[in-house]
Amino acid sequence: MSSYYIINLLIYAAVDATACLGLNQQFGVAGVTNFGFIIFQAAGGYTAAILALPSQSANGGFQTYIGGWNLPFPVPWIGAAVVGGVIALPFTFLVGRRLRGDFAAVGLLVTAVLLNLLVTNYRPLLNGSAGLSLIPQPLQGEYNPQSSGYQWTLTAVAIVVCALVYLFVRRITESPYGRSLRAMRDNDAVADSLGKNLLSLRTAMLVTGGAIAGLSGGILVSYITTWSPAAWGYAETVVLFAAVIIGGAGNHLGAILGAVLVPVGFEEVTRYIPTSNNLPPNLIPSLEWVAIGLLIVIFLWVRPQGILPERKRVIRAGAAASPPSAAAPSPPAPPAPVSAVPVSAGPVSALSPAVEPPVDREVVLEAVDVSREFGGVRAVDGVSFRVRHGTLTGLIGPNGAGKSTLLAMLAGTLPVSGGKIYYQGRDVTHLPAYRRARLGLVRTFQLASEFKRLTVMENLLTAVPDNRGDSFRGALAGRRYWRGDEAAAIARAEALLERFGLDGYANSYAGDLSGGQRRLVEIMRALMAEPRVLLLDEPMAGVHPNLARQIGNQLVALCAEGLTVLMVEHELAIMDEFCDPVVVMAEGAVLAEGTMAELRSRSEVVEAYLVG
Amino acid sequence: MTIFLASVGFGLVTASVLAVAAVGFTLQFGVTDVLNLAYGAVMIAGAYIAYVINQAGLNIWVGLVVAVVACSAGSVLLNSGIYTPFQRRGASPITMVIVSLGMTLIIEFGTQAIAGGTSVSYTMAQGPSVRAGGLVLTTVQLVVIGLSVLVMLGTHVLLRYTRLGKAMRATAANKTLARNCGIRTSRVINLTWAITGALCGLAGVIFAMDAGSFDATSTDLFLILILAATFIGGPGQAYGAMLGAVVIGLATEISAAYITPSYKYVVAFVALLLILGVRPTGLLGARA
Repeated sequence: MSSYYIINLLIYAAVDATACLGLNQQFGVAGVTNFGFIIFQAAGGYTAAILALPSQSANGGFQTYIGGWNLPFPVPWIGAAVVGGVIALPFTFLVGRRLRGDFAAVGLLVTAVLLNLLVTNYRPLLNGSAGLSLIPQPLQGEYNPQSSGYQWTLTAVAIVVCALVYLFVRRITESPYGRSLRAMRDNDAVADSLGKNLLSLRTAMLVTGGAIAGLSGGILVSYITTWSPAAWGYAETVVLFAAVIIGGAGNHLGAILGAVLVPVGFEEVTRYIPTSNNLPPNLIPSLEWVAIGLLIVIFLWVRPQGILPERKRVIRAGAAASPPSAAAPSPPAPPAPVSAVPVSAGPVSALSPAVEPPVDREVVLEAVDVSREFGGVRAVDGVSFRVRHGTLTGLIGPNGAGKSTLLAMLAGTLPVSGGKIYYQGRDVTHLPAYRRARLGLVRTFQLASEFKRLTVMENLLTAVPDNRGDSFRGALAGRRYWRGDEAAAIARAEALLERFGLDGYANSYAGDLSGGQRRLVEIMRALMAEPRVLLLDEPMAGVHPNLARQIGNQLVALCAEGLTVLMVEHELAIMDEFCDPVVVMAEGAVLAEGTMAELRSRSEVVEAYLVG
Repeated sequence: MTIFLASVGFGLVTASVLAVAAVGFTLQFGVTDVLNLAYGAVMIAGAYIAYVINQAGLNIWVGLVVAVVACSAGSVLLNSGIYTPFQRRGASPITMVIVSLGMTLIIEFGTQAIAGGTSVSYTMAQGPSVRAGGLVLTTVQLVVIGLSVLVMLGTHVLLRYTRLGKAMRATAANKTLARNCGIRTSRVINLTWAITGALCGLAGVIFAMDAGSFDATSTDLFLILILAATFIGGPGQAYGAMLGAVVIGLATEISAAYITPSYKYVVAFVALLLILGVRPTGLLGARA
C-alpha cells in the first residue's frame, strides 16, 4: 500500500466528510432537503479553479474559461466558500413558507440537472464537457507538489478544515438557534406560529451549507487539479444523501461516518473487484448506483435514524440554578416564576380584573368583517367580534362553523380573503404569523403539533423569545454568550412543568408522550412564548376530564394575572365553568355572544348548537 | 416559416409523448400522494422491454403491448412492495421522495447493468411521410399523436363517466373520507398504479420511437419535461397535465428551432421554477 494511496483515501474522506457536514446541517438538522446540493460543491470547485488558473493564453490556450486570475493560495479556497454561499441566495425563493418541502426538493433537483446540462454545452464559460484541467495546486511555485511532504501537508490541511467545519456546525446545532432549526425540521408551521422566521432560517441554512459545500469543492480541485461536469451529476447528491442517512441524519459525527462508509467505501471496494475483459464496461459503475439506491431504501426502512442516531439533549433539573450570575450580562429572569407571563406584559397591573366587568375592559384583539373562502366555499363569512383584555373568551359552534379557520386567520397561519384584524389597536391583517407571535399573539393547533424529536424541555425552550443564542450570530458567539438567557429560560420552563405536573417528563421526547400530555406540552410551549393573547384550538380535546378541569383552572389563574385567552372548545361543561364571554359561530358567521347562561336562553343558539 | 412549421410538427409529437407521460405521473401523485421520481426510470425500462421483443424479431407494436403490460405490473409491485409500506409507517412526503429517488437509481442503473451503456434503436419502418398544411410528419409520428389523443379521451371517459374514475377522484380528494364512504381505497390505489404504470410503459416506448435512439439514462432530462408539464397544470390535475404537456412540448421544440437545440430544456426548466415559485398549485389548481 503506497503512501499515494493513503493520501488519496484521506483527502477524499476529508472532502466528502466536509460536504456531508454541510448537507447534514441543512437536511439532518434543519430539514431543508436540498437535492441540488452538488451544485454548490461544483460552484466551489469551478471558483477555486478559475481563481487559481492563469489567464487562458498563459495556460496553453487549449481550454476556454472565464477568470484566470492566477491568485495565490488561500484565495481560491476562500473564493470557493464565498461563491458556494452566495449562489444559494437565488434558491431561497424555493424554500420559503409557501412551497411544500418535497416540491422545493424537486425544484432543486431539476436545477442541478439543468445547470449540469448548461455547463456541459456552453464551452466559453468553463470549457464545457471537457472541464478544466491543469489547475494549479496551492503554493506550487514554492514547493514541489509531487513530493510526499507536500502531499501529506495538503492531506493534513484538508483534515484540519474538516475538523473546523465540524466544530462550526456543532456550535450552531447545539445552540438555541440550532434548537429552532430542529423545531422547524419537525414541524415548520408550528415553528412559524412560535415566532420563527422560516425564510430567514432556511436562507441561513442554504447559505451555510452552500459555503461548506463550496469549500469542499475548492479543496477537492486543489488536489485532483481538474474539474468537469462529469464530476457533479445530480446523482452525486444522492450519494451524499445516502451517506448522511446511513451515518445518521442530525448527528454530525454520523455524517462523517457516513462519508467514510458510502462515497469513500464505494470507491475503495470497487477497486478490488477484478476487472475482466468479459464484463461490459458499464457494469460495475451501474451496479454501484444500484447498490446506493438499495442502501438508501433499505436504511430508511430498517434503521431510518442511521448508524449514529441524533442524540438526545438532556437538560438536568436544577442546571439552571448554578451559573446565572457568572454569565454575560443578561436580562433578569422573570421575577415570578409561578407566572408564565411577564408582569410587564401590557398595562395589566393597573386594572384589577376581579372588580371590573369583562364588557368594559380594553379590546386587545378585534376581527372586523373577516372572511375566508376555500375554492368558492365561504368557511368564514364576514365575522366581527372583540376579545377583551384578561378574559377567557370561549368560541363554540358546530363542526364546519369556521372556528378553526377564524383562529388561523387571527394568528396569521391563513391569510384572510377579506376584512381586518386588529391586535392591541394595530392592524395586523397582513403581518405574517411569526411576526404576530413575536408581538405576543400566539396560537396552538387542533392536531397534535409537538416537535417530536425534541424533548419536552426543548419544546418549551424553543418558544422563548429574545434568547441571545437564538440567532445565527448569537449561536456563533458561543455558549458563554447565551447561557445566561438559557438558564433563565430553563428556570421558567421548570416552573411551568411543575405547575402543570409534567416535571417528570422534562427529558422525554415529546413524540413519546400520551395524547393528553402532548396537549399540555403544547399549552406550556405557547405560554413560554410570553403571549399576551393566547389562541387555543380545542386544547382539551382528548384530555381526561380531571386534567381538562386542571387546565381550565390554570388558564383562569393566568387570565387573572393579565393573560387574554380565546379558546375554541366543544365541551360545554368547560365553557360553563371557565369561559366568559362565549361567542357562538355557525355556518361561518357569529350567531350570538354572551355568558353561557344568557346563551342557553336564546332559542336560535340552542337550535344551532346546544341541543344534543 | 418552414422552420417554424417543422418545429410545430416536432412540438406536437413531443407534446403527445409528454401528455401520456404527464397524465400518468400526475394521476399517480394525485390519487396515491407519491411524487414518484422513479417514473422516468420505469419508462426507460419499458422502452428496453419493447426493444428486447423487437430484437427477437417481432414487430415493435407487439413490443409496445408487452412493455405496457410489464410496466403496469411493475408499477403495482413498486407501490405495494415499497411505497405503501413506507406510507403505512407514516413516512413524510420528503422521505417518500428520497425513497423514490433511491428506486430511480435501482431501476435506471439496474436497466443499464443489464442492457449495457450503449444507445440502441428499434427496428421499424417510419412509413411514408404525410403532408398536411405545411407540416410534414412520418406515419409513426402520426400514430404516436393518434395514440396520445386516444389516451387523453380514455382518461377523460375514465375520470368523468366510470365508477372507478369517480372513486379515484374521491380518493385523491380525501382518502380517509373516501374509505369511510365505502370506497375500497386500497383497490382504487392498486388500479391507479396499474393504469398509470400502463401509461408510463406506453410513454416509454413512444418516447424511444420519437427519440430514435436511447440509452438507460435518456429519461433523466425527459423527467424534467414531465415535472414541468405536471406542475404547470397543477400537481394531481389530469386535465392540467394535458394542457401543460401541450405548452411544454410546443415551447421546447419551437425554441429549439431558434436557439441551440441542446438548450431546449431550459424553457421547460424556467417554466417549472417560475410556477413553483409563484403558483405551486399550477395554472388550473386552486389558489394556495
